[in-house]
Amino acid sequence: MYDVEAPLAGRREVARGVWVLGFEAAPIAHSVRAGQFVNLLLRPGPLLRRPFSVYRVDHDVVEVVLKAVGEGTRMLLELRPGDRVSMLGPLGTGFELEREGGPVALVSGGLGVAPMPLAAREAQALGLTVHWVHGARTADELCREWEGDEAWWATDDGSLGVAGSVLQAVPVGVGQVLGCGPNRMLAALAERWPEAQVALETYMGCGTGVCLGCAVPRTSGVFDRACQEGPVYRSGSIRWRDLPTALHYAVSA
Amino acid sequence: MVEVGGVELQSPVMAASGTFGYGTDVPLCDRKALGGMVSKGIFLNARPGTPPPRIVETPSGMLNAIGLQGPGVEAVIRDYAPLWATWDFPVLVNINGESVDEYGELAARLDGVPGVAGLEVNISCPNVREGGLFFGNNPESAAAVTTAVRRRTSLPLWVKLTPAVSDISAIARACEEAGADALSAVNTFVGMSFDLGSGQPRLAFRTGGLSGPAIRPLALYLAYQVARAVSIPVVGIGGIARAEDAMEFLLAGCRAVQVGTATFVDPNAIGKIAAGISLPLVGKDPLAQSSDRPLASR
Ligand SMILES: Cc1cc2nc3c(=O)[nH]c(=O)nc-3n(C[C@H](O)[C@H](O)[C@H](O)COP(=O)(O)OP(=O)(O)OC[C@H]3O[C@@H](n4cnc5c(N)ncnc54)[C@H](O)[C@@H]3O)c2cc1C
Ligand SMILES: Cc1cc2nc3c(=O)[nH]c(=O)nc-3n(C[C@H](O)[C@H](O)[C@H](O)COP(=O)(O)O)c2cc1C
Ligand code: FES
Repeated sequence: MYDVEAPLAGRREVARGVWVLGFEAAPIAHSVRAGQFVNLLLRPGPLLRRPFSVYRVDHDVVEVVLKAVGEGTRMLLELRPGDRVSMLGPLGTGFELEREGGPVALVSGGLGVAPMPLAAREAQALGLTVHWVHGARTADELCREWEGDEAWWATDDGSLGVAGSVLQAVPVGVGQVLGCGPNRMLAALAERWPEAQVALETYMGCGTGVCLGCAVPRTSGVFDRACQEGPVYRSGSIRWRDLPTALHYAVSA
Repeated sequence: MVEVGGVELQSPVMAASGTFGYGTDVPLCDRKALGGMVSKGIFLNARPGTPPPRIVETPSGMLNAIGLQGPGVEAVIRDYAPLWATWDFPVLVNINGESVDEYGELAARLDGVPGVAGLEVNISCPNVREGGLFFGNNPESAAAVTTAVRRRTSLPLWVKLTPAVSDISAIARACEEAGADALSAVNTFVGMSFDLGSGQPRLAFRTGGLSGPAIRPLALYLAYQVARAVSIPVVGIGGIARAEDAMEFLLAGCRAVQVGTATFVDPNAIGKIAAGISLPLVGKDPLAQSSDRPLASR
């Protein structure tokens, strides 16, 4: 875990209102794994840090993808090149891919695309075939950047790819499923692929394991910490009904 | 070194209960600057905690309803106390009960356990047998808990006061008379927040404890009143995020401070606060102190 004063190195718009921000944070860029996150502090800014999955790394630069949903994200999008944030990370436990596990489907809804580019690279490094499966509300809200061997799209309004749920766009014959997106989408994914690995979002106090604010209800009966044991879980190990769906999560398709 | 109620602290800046876990997950905190820590609050038995959402950010603060999730006293003694025994800074265990007897049981169980430097009794707990009012709400029940713990342990005994009372001085004195060695002031303030979209409280538990800079002046005033009411040391808590904030509590008569929410923002907040404190520790009466030694000369 590192706390890096990270200057904004660059940014680009990847869908309507959805931006990728790159921050220079070498120690994090060189150690982060797919599914892990960073916790960003803005000063001046709101009291608490804001957690974001790592989208990609490029040499010393750590990228995150976001849109403005509240005060913190709005301020992040107002940063100018050279402006600094405090970046804490890498945090949490990432995805685990198996060399013998068969082709990989990376299934994401909306900003749930965030952890997938790193996952695609890790999968390809293991020699696995990667199906990129991504959905959003409409074509212009859909992030077109993708990595892997083949891309499959879905939109709620049918303006691109399959009309309807991103789950319908998953090709047959995949061996390993990784998912990220709104809780409702992940709950549906869990019914079909209980062995899938999903990256969850919860409200977080600290991101480092000390506050117990990020409780995830497990089927074993316990609450554990999204920031420490998670945010990646086997989808069948979550009590989805006890996870709030009504939160104003930014990552909604 | 600072001595507080029988505990030797490495510095006057400690980690507050529930904001430092069991001390095992804070790799970026400067452990040489850390005065000591208080563990997450524990009960006799394991508790699952409250369902999510457990956290809501508020202006300059946060509400939490964790529900004292924890593994119970035996697991803490088995899994953490042996580690604590090897650390340079003291660890106090924050103890919680649903009845006066449960506090006493916990104290007896922790007495003499290597690695446990003292107990911090959290009296901001609902008294389940007596209708759910906080033990810390009146002098009688606060004293009853303190007495029950005092009888069952020779460990240093701190009592952590709740701010939601009309006369904190009376409760502080009752705890002192019942045998407390020091007082921690204060715990979180009960608050709530509604989501306008759903019309529901944002926390699943409905209410939660407010912490962070939002409570600092309120907490400071309570700590000041407690320091004037008793002759045992007082540990100030509430919204401390910078060395200047800690110094305000020391000026108000506290012997040491605890830092909570600030650790969530900066994992080494405690290291920075401890390094920045430049006042010599002031004594009990802040008014007398400041008149014979003007601030500017320190
Ligand atoms: C592990 C993890 C990874 C995430 N990755 C991404 C990502 O890659 N891209 C992205 O756009 N968003 C991501 N999020 C969500 C992101 O943290 C929130 O969008 C952000 O905190 C909103 O802050 P705000 O100040 O703009 O919103 P506000 O609504 O003003 O925030 C108020 C409070 O609620 C919290 N909050 C609000 N929404 C969320 C949320 N969805 N999840 C957690 N806390 C929230 C904030 O942190 C803050 O404490 C992730 C969340 C987690 C837990
Ligand atoms: C997430 C969280 C959990 C807490 N858990 C406990 C606890 O178990 N026992 C206790 O006595 N106080 C607990 N507290 C209260 C803190 O120890 C402290 O009194 C309070 O947060 C005010 O200090 P701060 O503003 O520096 O955070 C908790 C606070 C927070 C924010
Ligand atoms: S966010 Fe604090 S324990 Fe996970």
